Amino acid sequence: MNVVATQPKQKPSLRDWLKTLTFYELLLGMKATLTHLLNYKPITLQYPHEKRLLPENYRGMLALLRYDDGTEKCVGCDLCEAACPSRVIRVVSAEVPEEPTKRYSKEYYMDMTRCLFCGLCVDACPVDALGMTREFEWAVYDKRQLHLNKEQLLAIGDRSYPVREKRLELQHPNVAFFNVAFKNLPQKEI
Amino acid sequence: MEIGLRLAVSLAQIAAVMGVVMLTVMVLTLAERKVLGWMQDRMGPMEVGPYGVLQPIADGLKLFFKEDIIPAGANKFLFTLAPILALVPAMIGFAVIPFGPSLTIEVFGMQIKPFVISDINIGILYILAFASIGAYGIILGGWSSNSKYSLLGGLRSAAQVISYELNVGLAIVGVILLSGSLSLVKITEAQAGGFWNWFILAMPFPQIFAFVVYVISAVAETNRVPFDLPEAESELVAGFFTEYSGMRFAFFFIAEYANMILVSCVAAALFLGGWNAPYPGTILGYIGLDSVAWMENVVWFAVKVYFFLFLFFWLRATLPRLRYDQLMRFGWKVMLPIALGNIVLTAIAAYFFPR
Repeated sequence: MNVVATQPKQKPSLRDWLKTLTFYELLLGMKATLTHLLNYKPITLQYPHEKRLLPENYRGMLALLRYDDGTEKCVGCDLCEAACPSRVIRVVSAEVPEEPTKRYSKEYYMDMTRCLFCGLCVDACPVDALGMTREFEWAVYDKRQLHLNKEQLLAIGDRSYPVREKRLELQHPNVAFFNVAFKNLPQKEI
Repeated sequence: MEIGLRLAVSLAQIAAVMGVVMLTVMVLTLAERKVLGWMQDRMGPMEVGPYGVLQPIADGLKLFFKEDIIPAGANKFLFTLAPILALVPAMIGFAVIPFGPSLTIEVFGMQIKPFVISDINIGILYILAFASIGAYGIILGGWSSNSKYSLLGGLRSAAQVISYELNVGLAIVGVILLSGSLSLVKITEAQAGGFWNWFILAMPFPQIFAFVVYVISAVAETNRVPFDLPEAESELVAGFFTEYSGMRFAFFFIAEYANMILVSCVAAALFLGGWNAPYPGTILGYIGLDSVAWMENVVWFAVKVYFFLFLFFWLRATLPRLRYDQLMRFGWKVMLPIALGNIVLTAIAAYFFPR
């Protein structure tokens, strides 16, 4: 419109005058919007009704996993707690009763309000007891519902990983520590 | 008896026009969101009803049941009065708009004009006068809220509406010079017989400049983008109605849309021939259906009005907001001289080539 006044002092050419008089630049913009109206191709996804395809390596809700016979994989080594940059995880490790060489996580808490889904705990786990699921719809009304305990984490793992890893003979979690292959023991199948 | 009947007929006409206007407002609230969405590669409202067509009803229900808050420290009387002052003038202007041909029909022995509520001989002046009162609603609403954002919005609106109402009035003068009447019915009738007789193109002096000035000023007067400084979201929360909620907010909202329809109707009636078709006569009249030829005229009026309403949305999707000094400079230094020059030239042309 009156762009002439705001521009540095120079004599506007006849062309500029014509452009101003005919609203040339305004019409260009309006043509752009009308083009979008006529070639209407929305990029919207109607979210609750249709969902985006998640990428193959999507990092969603964390979960604790089990072996195929239902025993927990977690050996209570605390490495995930050490690896976590946001202090999400708290593990209370304990000995298995009557088996003083074996340990397990007596309590396992995750404060998902702080989790940034980096996946470092999953990488750190020596027995692959942690997994990242493809769940992401975790909006809740109460923030405290995001403080998960061991049972809840196991339940998430149960519903997200229907195919469980086979627990081999003699492969007690404590034996498979750090995924090191021992010569006298069979290799862990993946 | 006679006066009672006349009153009843008038009330029926008023109810019909109000109904149509409110229905159009409902359609517009949806259409605006849809058109804006489509222009921005979005979908607009999609949840309520098929393709979101019931959204205006949901919005209306929501606003109706919302808590009605009067902020502490607000001037209660003016705070309550302001939405009414904004809505009533916007609605009342429709009384003089001719929606269709000026036939008269006989009802109970009375001559009734069905397509205009009241054909007063100062029609356009009446609309301008009430448009000015509508500005009070905005200014008082801004002032009485006891909030800095509202006050700033109200002040901006005061300056803007005064500046641009001047241009609206001056742009209309050219048309009045050519038609020789202030009555919208007479102005529309003077443009009969094809689009070359519309005042935007009519000899002796086409009012194309006045038309452009009028449309831009009308956008400014209704506080729409790119002149939406009184309610600039990114600067003033919501401008003059920041503190309003519930039905009071709805009143401002309806007033804005009713004003849009009103200025569109005036633009169609003054510059684009009102209910006249762009060709002489009506097609329905030519094929012998004279009794329903008014339908064609009403449709043409609706088409013109909806074109302007679409233009409002289109501008909103395209243009960014003006800065305040740009708005004032544009109003006083560009639009006003153009409008004045148009009056001078039209007057000279109308003197030498009387219609």
